[in-house]
Amino acid sequence: MRATVTARPLVTGPTPGRAAVVLAGGGLMVLAAGALALALGTVGIGPLDALGIVGRRIGLPVDGAWAPSTETIVWEIRLPRVLTGMVVGAGLGASGAVFQALFRNPMADPYIIGTASGASLGAVGALVLPTLAPALAAAGGGPLGTGLVQASAFAGALATVGLVYALARSGSGVPVVTLLLTGYAVSAVLAAIVALLIFLSGRALAAVVAWIMGSLAGASWGELGLAGALVTAAVVLLLLRWRRLNLLLLGESQAAHLGLGVEREKLVLTMLAALATSAAVAVAGTIGFVGLVAPHLVRLAVGPDHRLLLPASALLGAALLTLADAGARLAGGIPVGVVTALIGAPFFLWLLRRSSAVRPRAEP
Amino acid sequence: MSTPRVKGNGIGMAIPHGRGPSATSLGLLLLVLPLLVLAGCLPAGGRGSAASGPTGRTDPSPSPEGPLVVTDDAGRSVTVAGPPSRIVSLAPSNTEIVCALGACDRLVGVTDADDYPPEVTELDRVVVQTSVDIEAVVAAEPDLVLAAGNELTPSEAIEQLERLGLTVVVLYPQTLDELHANIELVGAVIGEGGAAAGLVADLEERTAAVVDAVAGAGRPRTYYEVFYSDAAIYTAGEGSFIAELISLAGGEPVTGDAQGVIDTERIIAADPELILLGAASYDPALADAEGALAAVSARPGWGQLSAVRAGRVVPYLEDVVTTRPGPRIVDGLEALARAIHPDRFGD
Amino acid sequence: MSAAIRADGLRFAFPAGSPARSVLRGVDLALDRGELVALVGPNGSGKTTLLRLLTGLLRPDAGRISIFGRPLERWSRAELARRVAVLPQSLELPPGFRVAELVEMARAPHARRLFGATPEDRDAVERALLEADATALADRRAGALSGGERQRVLVAMSLAQEPDLLLLDEPTIHLDLAHAVGVLRAVEALRSRRGVAVLAVVHDLALASTFAARVAVLHEGRIVADGPPQRVLLPSLIGRVFGVSVEEATTRDGRRVLVPLVAGGALPRPVAVGDE
Repeated sequence: MRATVTARPLVTGPTPGRAAVVLAGGGLMVLAAGALALALGTVGIGPLDALGIVGRRIGLPVDGAWAPSTETIVWEIRLPRVLTGMVVGAGLGASGAVFQALFRNPMADPYIIGTASGASLGAVGALVLPTLAPALAAAGGGPLGTGLVQASAFAGALATVGLVYALARSGSGVPVVTLLLTGYAVSAVLAAIVALLIFLSGRALAAVVAWIMGSLAGASWGELGLAGALVTAAVVLLLLRWRRLNLLLLGESQAAHLGLGVEREKLVLTMLAALATSAAVAVAGTIGFVGLVAPHLVRLAVGPDHRLLLPASALLGAALLTLADAGARLAGGIPVGVVTALIGAPFFLWLLRRSSAVRPRAEP
Repeated sequence: MSTPRVKGNGIGMAIPHGRGPSATSLGLLLLVLPLLVLAGCLPAGGRGSAASGPTGRTDPSPSPEGPLVVTDDAGRSVTVAGPPSRIVSLAPSNTEIVCALGACDRLVGVTDADDYPPEVTELDRVVVQTSVDIEAVVAAEPDLVLAAGNELTPSEAIEQLERLGLTVVVLYPQTLDELHANIELVGAVIGEGGAAAGLVADLEERTAAVVDAVAGAGRPRTYYEVFYSDAAIYTAGEGSFIAELISLAGGEPVTGDAQGVIDTERIIAADPELILLGAASYDPALADAEGALAAVSARPGWGQLSAVRAGRVVPYLEDVVTTRPGPRIVDGLEALARAIHPDRFGD
Repeated sequence: MSAAIRADGLRFAFPAGSPARSVLRGVDLALDRGELVALVGPNGSGKTTLLRLLTGLLRPDAGRISIFGRPLERWSRAELARRVAVLPQSLELPPGFRVAELVEMARAPHARRLFGATPEDRDAVERALLEADATALADRRAGALSGGERQRVLVAMSLAQEPDLLLLDEPTIHLDLAHAVGVLRAVEALRSRRGVAVLAVVHDLALASTFAARVAVLHEGRIVADGPPQRVLLPSLIGRVFGVSVEEATTRDGRRVLVPLVAGGALPRPVAVGDE
């Protein structure tokens, strides 16, 4: 029996048209940011030249002659760095949105349950090991490469999330507030250990500080491949869970009443988001604010429905980080984490003020 | 007190074999950090490279035109295809070696700390505030890159340059002998073996002359101060290059720990008879004898040191050459000898 | 034909030290398809706790629960949500969503398409909004609703789930009389048209007795009365359970109404002390 009371069709979510506009717009934003970032750097290369070099390398019939050093700069130095920035930004943006839903807390960011402190411990430990225990490092077969630093960071991040989750478990499930507080506590402990390692770091100090500030310098095709694969897999799997994320916003009880296996879902979401975050942090260090600000901006523009919020947060995160890194390179090669903090923090304050002024108060 | 600009390889010279600036380099870094953040960058990532590798050696079968295989100070085996015509230097000491061998015209990139010989200031800067600008190095299209060891050039940068197909040789001399070996290594690599041999002979001669001049003149306990702050004091590290120079110059060096860090108590216990202020090279407040003595006496606990009571606090203005492990290091040795034994040099 | 709900000997106590005071001491309750049962009782008697046990959010210390003939433990969350809808006492609605989107969220147990809503979903949403008298609210944002409007949206959400068993925890709270009546009418229509079983926790005894064919009274952890309202809601029982003296009155069209007695500003003492 069909009720035909409404005069116009009922809109219960983003129409395909709107979704297309948002996603295409996001995609364009990312491409534009990428093209701009390819063209910017200490060595001046015009955007058309940069795109031409990329085009020719991927097999398009492009005319043009460039010095080998220019081609090297664009293809071997800038392009992997720009693409890594996109991957990292997308991972942080998407996982930020997921944690904000999981904790029903707009202040949540991807690092909230210990990925940052765990990754820092892993990376700093690997960087400092040659100073602390040179025999051990030498026995490991020569100098520890950046590959080991990244692997340690990745392992540290995941292990920490696992630890926090296990510690927060009580009785039947993992209460979200307990998870949050346990995350803070564990992060504090790990941060203290990291501080001690920094104190003992010796000549590795500069490298350690740069890692903690978050930097995309030295990005290579190899690390892009691995990080890209992990982040993409995690983000795609998260995108498919948009309905469950929406349900979680109704509160865990009601989500359960609507058919969600809440504890299992929390675990799966945490693991996927932690995977994306860990891969991002492993290659880029702890870059802040992208995972916090991107979902907020998207929510303002597009609404809280995760059907659009998730993919748009990934796209916006990618674009923002790419632009921030271009800015960081222009500013003389400062770590991109410094740029995101300098711009992100005041911007976030502005967002907060704006939203508290605008939010309507429900009457009792 | 103004922040001393760390020129040459500065702190790097106060440290002995194998260890770099460590725990208390945090203090120094915090002071220098504002400069780094504002104007440049910190090296990203990094790894431990073999700290005390063998000094550079050449294989005994070089030919002027053919490829040369050398082992650099990081223990890396590097193949140099032929005498390079475009050289990038990532440390002022390396620049000075290249120029002393008469190949200054082949340099195409240097650091922003390079200042000798004067003409190198015209060259492109590929290192800004100790951070290597990979793009700039690549854009200069060098066929040889001379890097510095012990993370003074971050190992991640070296890795990346190698990945991009550039030839990188790492130099890190920790004694005078190693410096001579480096000069010969560079000479062989750039095809100026003759000039290198001549330069080394000249340096050895001048060194011997200094040792002769101060022979038998007693060895005053000498404290060379690289940097002083309430948080951290840096001097010659135990077994470091500067300690060796002071010894050769006829003094008994007061040394800090392996990283060159020393605290006031150690200094008081050592009771130096002579204090040389390297920071006077950068800080005008210390540049005259009265100002230097006043500043040092004002430090808590320092008034009782023999050197202070005897007024032997000397503003030392040749810190750059004394701490830069290049051909002018012997100028530094001579300056040290004059400061430690002025009577032996007709002053 | 299996009952919608069959609960036998339910016992439950919150762990020591928790502030909740309600305790169930052996509750038996059965509900058939097409039955509308009002569950009444004083505050703190355990009505919400009983509902949470019936939906599986809490585990009983003793006793069994079957839903549509199958033990509750053998239902998966997803299956249960396709047959059973719950309207909780209070629910924070995420502010950025529009009402129509929230009601559509309640279609989740029946969701078939990966990214969109089927025509059946949209129809269900429209119907639910209509029956909850919330059609006018469809485009409003959740954060901009009054208490009463929010309640109607919640009702619409449970209706949109198209359940066979509906559990309502105080569905008429915040609602003025007209809307309260409207909601209960809609629920009654569900029952009679589609044979939905309804268990509604109701605080308004008059409404309960008007709309429910059966009233169950929960008092100090047990069901002390269960049957047609005219036999259950007697002044003696109400005095014992609620501690308030009431008097029966009859309306012009012959319906029975209970009126609390307040003499001279002071509440009277309970009529009789029950055997506990």
